[in-house]
Amino acid sequence: MTTPASLPDIDYAGVAPVLIILGAACIGVLLEAFVPRSQRWAVQVVLSLLAIVVAAIALGAYLYTGPQNTSTFAGSIALDRPALFLWGTLLALGLGSILLIADRVVEPGGAFVAQAGIRPGTMLDKEQANRSSMQTEVFPLALFSLAGMMIFCSANDLLSMFVALEVLSLPLYLMCGLARRRRLLSQEAAVKYFLLGAFASAFFLYGVALLYGYANSVKLADIANAAGGTNRSDALLFLGMGLLLIGLLFKGSVGPFHTWTPDVYQGAPTPMTAFMGACTKVAAFGAILRVLMVAFGSTHWEWQTIMWVVAGISMLLGAILGITQTDVKRMIAYSSVAHAGFLLVGVLALDGSGIRATLFYLISYGFTTIAAFGVVSLVRDGTGESTSLSSWAGLGKRSPLLAGIFTFLLLALAGIPLTSGFVSKFVVFAAGMSAGITPLVVLGLIASTIAAFFYLRVIVLMYFSEPAADGPTVTLPGMYTTAAITLGTLVTLLLGVYPSFMLDWAGTGGFVV
Amino acid sequence: MTPTYYLVLSGVLFTIGTIGVLVRRNAIVVFMCIELMLNAVNLTLVTFSRINGGLDGQIMAFFVMVVAAAEVVVGLAIITSIFRTRRSASVDDSNLLKY
Amino acid sequence: MEYVPILLLFVLGFGFAVFSVTIAEVTGPRRFNKAKQEGYECGIEPSPQPVVGGGRMPVAYYLTAMLFILFDIEMVFLYPFAVTADALGVFGLVEIVLFIATVAFAYAYVWRRGGLDWN
Repeated sequence: MTTPASLPDIDYAGVAPVLIILGAACIGVLLEAFVPRSQRWAVQVVLSLLAIVVAAIALGAYLYTGPQNTSTFAGSIALDRPALFLWGTLLALGLGSILLIADRVVEPGGAFVAQAGIRPGTMLDKEQANRSSMQTEVFPLALFSLAGMMIFCSANDLLSMFVALEVLSLPLYLMCGLARRRRLLSQEAAVKYFLLGAFASAFFLYGVALLYGYANSVKLADIANAAGGTNRSDALLFLGMGLLLIGLLFKGSVGPFHTWTPDVYQGAPTPMTAFMGACTKVAAFGAILRVLMVAFGSTHWEWQTIMWVVAGISMLLGAILGITQTDVKRMIAYSSVAHAGFLLVGVLALDGSGIRATLFYLISYGFTTIAAFGVVSLVRDGTGESTSLSSWAGLGKRSPLLAGIFTFLLLALAGIPLTSGFVSKFVVFAAGMSAGITPLVVLGLIASTIAAFFYLRVIVLMYFSEPAADGPTVTLPGMYTTAAITLGTLVTLLLGVYPSFMLDWAGTGGFVV
Repeated sequence: MTPTYYLVLSGVLFTIGTIGVLVRRNAIVVFMCIELMLNAVNLTLVTFSRINGGLDGQIMAFFVMVVAAAEVVVGLAIITSIFRTRRSASVDDSNLLKY
Repeated sequence: MEYVPILLLFVLGFGFAVFSVTIAEVTGPRRFNKAKQEGYECGIEPSPQPVVGGGRMPVAYYLTAMLFILFDIEMVFLYPFAVTADALGVFGLVEIVLFIATVAFAYAYVWRRGGLDWN
């Protein structure tokens, strides 16, 4: 007779948001199997939006009634305030991304390929480009990815974090390759993202294995405890940490690990770029924040100089290489590398104000990014989106409203007052100053100034040059894209003029150990 | 038998995998090298499990295997689709995205 | 004495191998075709290509291979479950049923979308 095993207690109300998203994704797979092709799009859009709204309601209910700062699944999933804040952020940004994915007006039939199996360049491919259907598997894939991101930023042990990392990455690799137009670029982006992503996750995993050897556990808290008193070599700890961070920094497209970012941002279908740019960043930095503070906070004297250097490299690389870009999507990609560096300043403050600043930065940057890519998807010529910067010349004369919105978003990315970008840079740098990393903050200010140059260049291009005769047209957006751009722009404005409520939300608590 | 030898072996395997990813040109071979890295990790996990006297590492190796299988499927799908287009799996030929 | 079960298992394994080979020799039909002569025998004949190193497998082969890998490897979790089924009780049973259900969803998708048709 065997003795019953001790079973983990599960706080179902707490993990309900994740379970709802995962359940909806599973239902989405079944719908793909049994619903006739003509109705799939409508059913999937309703299901996805409904799932996100219901998950958000469940999250809200838990925030008001549930216990504070607990963890569940035997300590594997943290339900502390930062985790719940990040879940809310991810659900909101996921909603915006699903709206962009669902749009079928801007590109007749949607930005995704009608059938992924059709070879690019063939007759069938030309035919599919004008068909009004799309590969509706994108919706369940996006939901799976979203659920993976939610687990990723709340995982309190490295094994859960690894599984979540793959759950969020694998659908992204696939969705990158599903663009309706320019399919060669899209497939190439998918191959590059996949190979480099798998390479990075192998590093992550080796780091996990070494840390397991060091601490005899993969729980973040146990690793922190082991750093206090173990007879194992510190080489295991720091080698493991380094390898682990390579995997995490890759996902957050930080500094020297950013090489995939511009290629993948450019090649992926634009709604997918928005999803990646906003949500992956949130998930990755949520995890970086948690790992650095919970697992390695006690040893920060040993490693923080190296991370300062990484943050500095990231800012400068992003800002300087951004200047040389001639493509809008690549430019925003390099800007995201610079932003990753600024975010790291908040993370490296390693205290409560650092958490608050980073969380605020993530939500404001995410909404700005979604709106910006929404605008990018509207500027089109005969072959699809016209992302070359030169074709954006004179857009202010041709379409004042769109150019106005894009100008506002670029100013937010540059960090000009009255936009959320200013507030988020301010709180991040303030947290860095009070934590005593002044040199990094100064470097951050220099990098922001350099980066402001290429944002302003686009604005000058849009307003002060003559539109080319055969330039792109601006498509009138459908309901969904309009909703996504409006949402992103309004939040950018709101957090710029009245940031205090969001800062309060972001600062309500630290990590559970 | 000292378990340390297995750690050294896994380190060597991981390094071979890493070098393979960096120098090989065929996407499938690159991918196989990544799988080699994952298997080196499995060896490390199982060895540490033995040293630490617990089963955690072995369970983790299961998870790594399953995730690696899912990764293989996604990777093969992406690589076959680009191969069908280009008639080549060389990563050098994927050079449309730059600057 | 305590090693007897291992010996029995060894005998059983060896016996099964001998039995399988013999029964296939005795009862199996003998039809040879080109696919069976391939060095890498998987029942598929690569489409002929004049390049060195042999031809290529049809794409459907890769699809089947991928599906096989997925469904095959998922079953690795059933083994630890089976070993500890008693100790885990009803909770473990519910969890493993949920796990199999999610795999079944994927299977339903593959089946309905024609992933199992060979043409």
